[in-house]
Amino acid sequence: MTDRAADRPLLDALPALRDRVAELRYPLDLAGATVARREQAAVAGQVADYLLPRLRQIDAPLLVVVGGSTGAGKSTLVNTLVGAPVSPAGVLRPTTRAPVLVCSPTDAGWFTDDRVLPGLARTTGDARDARSLRIVPAAAVPAGLALLDAPDIDSVVVANRELAAQLLAAADLWLFVTTAARYADAVPWDLLHTAAERSTALAVVLNRVPAEAIGEVTSHLRSMLHDNALDGAELFVIPETTLVDGALPAAAAGPVRAWLAALAADADSRAGVIRATLTGALDALDRRIPALAAAADEQRSGADRLRAAVVAAYELAAGEVEDGVRDGSLLRGEVLARWQEFVGTGEFMRTLESRIGQLRDRVWAAVTGRPVAGTPVRDALESSVEDLVVDAADRAAERSVASWRAEPGGRSLLAGAGSAGLGRSAPELRRRLGAEIRAWQGFVLGLVAEEGADKRTAARIASLGLNGAGLAVMLGVFAHTGGLTGGEIAVAGGTSVAGQRLLEAVFGDQAVRTLAVEARVDLMRRVQRLLVDDAARFEVPLEEAGVVSGAAVREALGVLVRARRAEART
Amino acid sequence: MSRLLTLRRPGSTGGDLDERLRGLAAAVDAGAGRLPAAELATATAVVDRAAQRLGLGVGAAVVALAGATGSGKSSLFNALVGTDLSAVGVRRPTTATAIACWWGETSADPLLDWLAVPRRHAAGVDPALDGLVLLDLPDHDSTERSHRAEVDRLVAVVDLLVWVLDPQKYADAAVHERYLVPLAGHSDVMLVLLNQADRLPPTARESCLVDLRRLLAAEGLAGVPVLATSARTGEGVPELRRLLTDRVASRRAAAERLAADVVAVTAALARYCGGRAAGVPAGASADVAAALAAAAGVDTVVAAVDRSHRSRAALATGWPPLRWLRRLRPDPLRRLHLGGAPVEGSRTSLPPASAAARAGVRTAVRALGATAGAGLPDPWPELVSTAARRDEAALPDRLDAAVAGADLGPDRRPRWWALTGAAQRLLATVALVGGLWLLVLFGWSYLQLGDPPVPHVGRLPVPTLLLVPGVLAGLLLALLSRRLAGWGARRRARAARRRLEDRVDRVAAEAVLEPVEEELAAYERWCAALRRARG
Repeated sequence: MTDRAADRPLLDALPALRDRVAELRYPLDLAGATVARREQAAVAGQVADYLLPRLRQIDAPLLVVVGGSTGAGKSTLVNTLVGAPVSPAGVLRPTTRAPVLVCSPTDAGWFTDDRVLPGLARTTGDARDARSLRIVPAAAVPAGLALLDAPDIDSVVVANRELAAQLLAAADLWLFVTTAARYADAVPWDLLHTAAERSTALAVVLNRVPAEAIGEVTSHLRSMLHDNALDGAELFVIPETTLVDGALPAAAAGPVRAWLAALAADADSRAGVIRATLTGALDALDRRIPALAAAADEQRSGADRLRAAVVAAYELAAGEVEDGVRDGSLLRGEVLARWQEFVGTGEFMRTLESRIGQLRDRVWAAVTGRPVAGTPVRDALESSVEDLVVDAADRAAERSVASWRAEPGGRSLLAGAGSAGLGRSAPELRRRLGAEIRAWQGFVLGLVAEEGADKRTAARIASLGLNGAGLAVMLGVFAHTGGLTGGEIAVAGGTSVAGQRLLEAVFGDQAVRTLAVEARVDLMRRVQRLLVDDAARFEVPLEEAGVVSGAAVREALGVLVRARRAEART
Repeated sequence: MSRLLTLRRPGSTGGDLDERLRGLAAAVDAGAGRLPAAELATATAVVDRAAQRLGLGVGAAVVALAGATGSGKSSLFNALVGTDLSAVGVRRPTTATAIACWWGETSADPLLDWLAVPRRHAAGVDPALDGLVLLDLPDHDSTERSHRAEVDRLVAVVDLLVWVLDPQKYADAAVHERYLVPLAGHSDVMLVLLNQADRLPPTARESCLVDLRRLLAAEGLAGVPVLATSARTGEGVPELRRLLTDRVASRRAAAERLAADVVAVTAALARYCGGRAAGVPAGASADVAAALAAAAGVDTVVAAVDRSHRSRAALATGWPPLRWLRRLRPDPLRRLHLGGAPVEGSRTSLPPASAAARAGVRTAVRALGATAGAGLPDPWPELVSTAARRDEAALPDRLDAAVAGADLGPDRRPRWWALTGAAQRLLATVALVGGLWLLVLFGWSYLQLGDPPVPHVGRLPVPTLLLVPGVLAGLLLALLSRRLAGWGARRRARAARRRLEDRVDRVAAEAVLEPVEEELAAYERWCAALRRARG
């Protein structure tokens, strides 16, 4: 149980890499996401189950995992090698459900703690729990080597297939068992490809070969191994025989037993096997991690695309609302009313100001060619703005959902619980909008009060002018009765009064226009805020997805690679 | 054999399957363009395949031996045929392409051409097996991917599937997950064999069969016959032959397979039907109509009608000396290009609807779409609300056309206008005569020609009597007419509003409700057709 100093940086780098890998998320159903999810679990599993324990204790016993198809005779082979029925064999498929580890009694200490395969509970009894590892010490197994009877790789029991893949990833050496009927099956060959890619040490047992077929089948399998760059694998052929007490005849299993015994006896070749598999697994990380990182980056950019689609949709909505309120009559009606209330103009001024405003609109429309909107709707201002904003938000939500549907990653998010009701604006939007518009009306009042403070006197005088007009009429009447030619006075007074009114009205209208711009900017700021809140609902599923970029895991791999280089130099 | 075939017209299998196939075809029609194309294509493929298969005659039964490499399909095939037709070997995989053998007088060539199985053999006449077309398929689980593609193709079209399993491979995921589970609805047209049974001791064989039956039952295939066979010892082969003979003799194999296909595809499509459409609630359509009326500018037009009526009444019945002033002001209806008789298709001069009004329309239409489609399975709610908005872009134009084509009330001039007008002219003439008379009198006395004789009524001179009451009466009459015209204007405005709203309602019905109802009808059609297909 030595910790070699040279392994230290590597031993620091690996757990960090494992943690970074565990943080990756592939929630968007992009092309390759399923593969990435599986690969992520596999990498994390291999680091924990194999790489870390093996690096910590390079001299721990060699773990030989006996894997293969259901019905290939894995358990029978293990029982034969051990010389005792440690793993139940049978005709029902799949037979082995809980993995069994057989080792020399002196080596048992290496496996009873959770040094390797920490995810599996240890039992020594006959527990048949699929997520437990039964440790059987057996004197027939040479020291320095342990045999693990794995479940099948291809039966209908999904848990078996997953566990088998996990166990094979934790192996120093695969003892791959297949049969004459099985050796060309697609599923085992997929696993053998993986072994070739990772330079895992491999031995193949061709079991249950009918005597007459030995030559043809063996040569075919050899050529298949050659075609798949697995020439280095040891190949053992066991002919079809009748079992003796559930075990193969000694002669049939002899070569395998002898080969394993030789391996156990020779510390150098054992270390060679361990080194080869370990280096292969570490080398494979150089390919596997960048692939995981690339898939994570794709997830990230997929999430960014989804986010951008929502932002674009809601920006368009803000533009629509802005266009709707830019046509001034909507807001000026409101501002004008507040102005008149504030400066306290009389009815006469009120009419005059409104008339002048309308006249200006008409002239403006004639000059610019922009049509005059329909009847001014001051009374319905609240509901008009509400309609505008709710409609714009509804359409933005629709557009967002539509673009999410069009994106492969978006569909899976929309199916999630966090995405309920995203197709429309939030139900509380109208209520919040009402409150916001009332607050805005308060703002407009304040604005008018501030702006009109110095003009108030002028406006007051202007409205006093109305009384002045009355005075002029009385004067005119008096003058008439007094024998003067009152017509002149009346005309003079009338024109001056009306002219002043006109000036004041124009002046007031101008002030109102300036204020209306400010009022619009404020309204838009409020609407913008509500729209941002509405768009934020789309963040919920995105947040839940928790996509991270592949940068961190790439960096962790870089640290690992540097640690390996440093180790190689020493 | 041939007599048996002619008894039943090719292409017909009895009413039930034909009816269900017609239902499926109708369902595809109703769902086309609405439901996922890929799933409808599966249904179309079933319908097409059924037509082709039934067209080739139901007298023959195509039976395929399928299974993993090394399970003994070819050995079993040879045992059934009686000669070593299919190559048997230890090198895996052995069989690369399907091989066929057929019994009977009627050539199976058309059928095998359709199945695209070129390797074929005529076994001759065997009264028990006449009509049987036996296929030996390649494996589905070896490293040769092309074999799997060939199996996939033929598994989809043959009449009866015989799955050849063996003690080593009977629980392989490859056969269960890829074929048996998806074919759970086809248990009537499948057999499962545990071949190479001779390799197991009798007790083990029994527990193996029990385990296999348990596995199949868990996959929903409890009804499938399971048979232990051995091509080497011949065990179970006569029994298998008897099972096949029964199937062939019944002449129902093709129809049963197709019926199972219809059931499977119908079951997959059933999730697109569930729950009844609530229909369009009256409140929602009233909201849409109100929003459309606001967007169409009905209020503006009605106000113009009112003012126009008053204006024309004033022109006809006003005090003549001031009437001309009216002519300076344009007729409010004419300004909207609505002055004349209604013209369908012409464009008014109404200002475009405000952004708020347009938003109101969209919100109302969206709410209608949402309520009409509520409770339907996906994707129907989406389809219904899309249908509601289908003509949204054309709505402004249609509303304008509706307003332009509206009869805004009779353009007739009430008779009292003419009477009052005549009275006004008379009064004006009287006043004018009085005025002129007074003018002459004024000139007369200005020229110091002495007092001309002026007739008096009582103490009042006649010219004054003509002028002052003439003017006063004219003004009074104008005032009175104005009141009266106001009453008439309101009545005409009300009538115009009714007509405008009727026309806007029609636009709502045509542009919003009809597409929605069309979509709901398509949903009903779809469900009804699916029920027919389900039988």
